[in-house]
Amino acid sequence: MPFLNHGSYRIRYELEGPPDAPAYVLVNGLTQYAELWAAYREALVAQHFRVATFDLLGQGGSDKPALYINQDDQVTALHRLIGELGDGPIFLTGISFGGLIALRYAIEHGERLSGLVPMSCFAELSPQLLLIGNALRTGLILGGTGYLQDLLLPMNLSDQWLKPLLDKLDSVKRQGWLVNDVYALQNLMESFLDFQPLTPKLSSITLPTMILNGEFDFLTPRALHETLRVEIPNSSLVIIPKAYHAFTLEKGALTADLLARFAKDVLAGRWQGNKAVWVAPEEPGDELMPFPEGYDHLRAIPVRRAST
Amino acid sequence: MSGFFGPLDTEGRVPPHQQTRVAAFLISAHGALARQSAFTLPTKLESAWQTELNTQLFRETEIVSLLMRATSWAPDPGLGYMTVAWESAWFPAPVYEISDWPLAVAAGLATLAHAVHAAIRPAALLPVEANSEDPFAMALRRIEFESGRLLQAQILSLKGPDLVPFRDAVNSALERRHTEVRKLWREMLQSVGIAVGNSNDGEH
Repeated sequence: MPFLNHGSYRIRYELEGPPDAPAYVLVNGLTQYAELWAAYREALVAQHFRVATFDLLGQGGSDKPALYINQDDQVTALHRLIGELGDGPIFLTGISFGGLIALRYAIEHGERLSGLVPMSCFAELSPQLLLIGNALRTGLILGGTGYLQDLLLPMNLSDQWLKPLLDKLDSVKRQGWLVNDVYALQNLMESFLDFQPLTPKLSSITLPTMILNGEFDFLTPRALHETLRVEIPNSSLVIIPKAYHAFTLEKGALTADLLARFAKDVLAGRWQGNKAVWVAPEEPGDELMPFPEGYDHLRAIPVRRAST
Repeated sequence: MSGFFGPLDTEGRVPPHQQTRVAAFLISAHGALARQSAFTLPTKLESAWQTELNTQLFRETEIVSLLMRATSWAPDPGLGYMTVAWESAWFPAPVYEISDWPLAVAAGLATLAHAVHAAIRPAALLPVEANSEDPFAMALRRIEFESGRLLQAQILSLKGPDLVPFRDAVNSALERRHTEVRKLWREMLQSVGIAVGNSNDGEH
């Protein structure tokens, strides 16, 4: 299992696929670990991509700094990983906390990327997100990793996904509980204590950007993605139907297909962001649909958009 | 070598020789924290954070008491030698870069407590098939759960305003303590046939 060095810390990573192929780098959410991307590795390698996954500092098999984790360190570690991938095209995606790290990377090193896919992401802490984040941190402190998982599962996944697993949720949670430590998750959460909004810097991201947002994302709702769409010039927002915050777990085949199509469109020169809003298909391979003209994509009921 | 306790007996219980060594290690570590908390705790509390120290003293004592009763003990000739090594590792190690001596001692204790509460995860050694009604298994779950809470006192004090000027020194001392505690824990587990991951211990 290869490791990168970042100062005195080690970052566990994994590369799969042909070394000369365009690369996809996948960044974990806060409570995740690299193995959760296994299906993506398989799907994207089959689509002729090279895939890099890794555990962030404080996660899984990477080192877990005892007291402080700085988000700048995560960006630096990501930069080292991308440095391992040679000079070919690189597409970067990440979910939630990982999406934020990907955004920061694109702001600082956008010239190294060919495309960016922030998923279930945010550039600033809205009052709701701030308060939910604080409550989740308290939940972690008082109830441990298991309680945090208990809060996140119903918040971030659909009834359809949860129902068949209701009597085996302990096994669903077990690997995440085993590889992630309370203090390390707390350090990751507390890396937001001095968080500064990225919104003023988003316009510096000039590369093709596909923003993915679950239709029913409660944790990071549409408005937070809208900030990305409005501020990033060459972006499109794609709404994943019937999906919640953790749609990368629930709709892996569809999401991997969207990632591959985006990269292929960019490489073929077909991509046009236009700050457009799209609705993803429910099945991989089907066509995306433009969000109905004239309607407000920020509402959950069909309301006509106010003319500007 | 497995990363979990075992092989379990027919009722899903951890073998007594593994229970004995793991319990002895935990009693040694948490017993040291209880003793050092007791010596650091003034008769009359002077600061708000000392309420945490009071809690610490009694929670650590509870952990020792729980393990004494929940463990199926087995004769272990190697234990004497190992206990000496463990006990000497818990000796107070003040953070010498801090000129205020009581604060340096308190910071040293906090680094040891942080390492024991954060890096030692005994419940993570229980395989899925472990009997959840077994007192030893329940004790380990309780210890890991309580450690997560106790840890908050160390996080608050180590990140607190008194130690901010010594952030680098405190961080270095803490990382050293983590490395040391993880190494002892890993070696003890290896001695009873359990291999745990090597994250953060500098050895790969």
